[in-house]
Amino acid sequence: MTDPLLIFDVILGLAIVALAVAVLAMHDRFAMIVLFIVFGLLSALAWVRLSAPDVALAEAAIGTGLTGALLLTTLHHIRATPPAPVPVPAGAIIANLGLCGLIFGGLVVAFLSTPLQAPGLALPVAQNMEASGVAHPVTAVLLNFRAYDTLMEVVVLLAAIVAVWMVERGTAQAPSPVMGEIYRGFARLALPAIVIIGTYLLWVGAYAPGGAFQGGAVLAAVGLLLLLSRLYRPQPAHRPLARLGFVLGTAVFAGIALLVASGGRVPFEYPAAHAKTLILLIEGMVTISIAVTLAALFHGREPEYASVSENHK
Amino acid sequence: MNDLPTLDWPTAVVFAPLAGAILAFAWPRRAAGIGLASVLLTTAAVAALALRVLAEGAVVTRLGNWGAPLGIDLRADGLSTLLLAMTAGVGLFVSLGALDSYAPARADERTRRYFWPLWLLLLTGLNGAFLSTDVFNLYVMLEVIALAAVGLTVLGGGREAVRAGLEYMYASILGALLFLMGVGFVYLELGRLDFAGLIAAEPAPALTAALALMIAGLLLKTALFPLHFWLPGAHANATAPASALLSGLVVKVSLYIFLRLTQYMPLPDELLVTLMGTLGAGAILWGGIQALRAERLKLLVAWSTVVQIGLIFVAFARAGQVGLAESWKAAALLILAHAVAKAAMFLSAGRIKDEVGHDRIQDLDRSPIRPTLAQFTFALAAISLIGLPPSLGFAGKWVLMEGAMAAGYWHWVGITMIGTLLSVAYFSRVLAGFLRFDRLRTPVAEHQGWALADTAPLVLALAALSLGLVAAPILAFMEIGYPFGATP
Repeated sequence: MTDPLLIFDVILGLAIVALAVAVLAMHDRFAMIVLFIVFGLLSALAWVRLSAPDVALAEAAIGTGLTGALLLTTLHHIRATPPAPVPVPAGAIIANLGLCGLIFGGLVVAFLSTPLQAPGLALPVAQNMEASGVAHPVTAVLLNFRAYDTLMEVVVLLAAIVAVWMVERGTAQAPSPVMGEIYRGFARLALPAIVIIGTYLLWVGAYAPGGAFQGGAVLAAVGLLLLLSRLYRPQPAHRPLARLGFVLGTAVFAGIALLVASGGRVPFEYPAAHAKTLILLIEGMVTISIAVTLAALFHGREPEYASVSENHK
Repeated sequence: MNDLPTLDWPTAVVFAPLAGAILAFAWPRRAAGIGLASVLLTTAAVAALALRVLAEGAVVTRLGNWGAPLGIDLRADGLSTLLLAMTAGVGLFVSLGALDSYAPARADERTRRYFWPLWLLLLTGLNGAFLSTDVFNLYVMLEVIALAAVGLTVLGGGREAVRAGLEYMYASILGALLFLMGVGFVYLELGRLDFAGLIAAEPAPALTAALALMIAGLLLKTALFPLHFWLPGAHANATAPASALLSGLVVKVSLYIFLRLTQYMPLPDELLVTLMGTLGAGAILWGGIQALRAERLKLLVAWSTVVQIGLIFVAFARAGQVGLAESWKAAALLILAHAVAKAAMFLSAGRIKDEVGHDRIQDLDRSPIRPTLAQFTFALAAISLIGLPPSLGFAGKWVLMEGAMAAGYWHWVGITMIGTLLSVAYFSRVLAGFLRFDRLRTPVAEHQGWALADTAPLVLALAALSLGLVAAPILAFMEIGYPFGATP
């Protein structure tokens, strides 16, 4: 009980719960999003305290930064005023509280019953680190031991952008927020720094926390800045290139996974001598795809499709 | 000589549609050609895999050669392969039907182009889920399936479709998150995520919590009453081929995972089994009543999906906990029957809507245009869904009731009978209209009453009808590799 960090942890935990409650209780949508971003940052801090810096980085970059940006841009597009909250009968609230409390209690009991120091897969991971081609266990799991899962997560992102391009069809394009000259100046200063940070995160993933998802999310911020400051405007002619960017990571990842399967090896079994090179190649391509896809998700629509198809006819 | 057999068929079954999706998305002008080729390739790979399973028993691929629990294994046993074959067969004919439904005259350019990548991504997820032996991998596959399925739901555009798609996405993501929480509990307790670990596990509170969370998530995704609220809107407002895929295949994945998990994880008691059966009975009654009230043809067909899902859960519960070792076969047979028949029915309903111009059930018989072959197909599919011999639906219901009677659970027999009567009633609303010629007499003009586009649904409907004749070999096939029992 003498650990001073314990007090910090307790306050952090309480603050996270309080922020979650505040987000739900808030009526103003903008305030909700701001509180949600703060909530995400504190959660990232909690991951650091749980000795999971990789998750913390991902939480900060994707869960907080990009999700916050997506929420804010969505808010910008929703111009309708929110409907007045419908009064909920007190009986329903009490019944809900009771039911949720019961489920929560059950889960707590189940949680407390689990072994405190379960061996998990840490031991087999440590034993196979030599053969994985990288020095950082998280990267070894994501890009080698369970590379199949990671490939499918990249596929999820691909499915997401196709689905978003389908959804926005028919909705009117809202004018983008106007950014002043100062903003553009900021973008010119910030862009090179972000590119360096993102690339560093990708590179460092081989032996320290970092990697494709974190690096890609940071690089996606470059895309966001370019879009917001109008330094780049998506054109219909850029669509083939954009599509190529979306599929690049999946294609290279899947291609390498299959191509290594020769001479008695199975899919995803990288030859030991080239494991590091191949993993870095996959990570690099996946990073590009993640960055392009996340930026495109922020833009939220296929550029000017309607007018182009009319021209074709 | 030795080259072909050593080809890794489970990997091919997952990667062929993925490659197709990438190419079809990157090269939209050739999307249809690429898509069809990729579906054909996948079907061929599934056929090769099925032959291999038939000859040698379960086929296992250790991805990365690490082996579970460190790595991820793909495993094709009888049940997996049967569902892969179902997906390939239904998918192939729906793809053929899509060529007509999304013909340049009927659909805009984007619908035509993006259907293929979405459908191929969906196929990747479906095949991956059927081959998976790892609960976290299953979660990832559920995510792939969910996003592709939402994309397919909104494919037709329009406000209603987008609204239904959004509702579907909320339900789907909530279901996936519940499942993920369950996965977390599994890892907390066991320290591993593969099926072999689950099978060897002793009962524990954490595993009960995990099972409860995962089942709740899966029930939401598979739309078992009363968690079916998202299904009718989503399936009725999508375009016909998309509806066929969503109703025929997508809801089956969560059912399949449910069957696997309830077998592998230590089940608490009889209570859960009875609860599942009761919810299934609720689905049969409520869905049946709603189908009787539906005003539009596609909505009626969507409600019939709710009923059939309920029926599958009744099959699961038909003989209580002791009967589970056999009951999964009845459930699997009904899954297969529903997939084939419902895909045929949605495609033919789409054909009817395309030809007549609307799908109001009340006015269907007053139309001077009679897409006779599509109507005939609809009737054939209805025969299988109602469960008349010799259809596959009949075989499934027969196995269900046989087991229930043997175990003395007469209430499940009664529910199945009531469900059958209800389905006769609501399908009769449509079929009676098809048969009436008296309300409006106009000369049959340029319309032929059939078109080449009717082939795909017709073949599916005929398959639903005739597969019942080979129900015994199908039942024997799904036991290959002892899906439940010996360790994989």
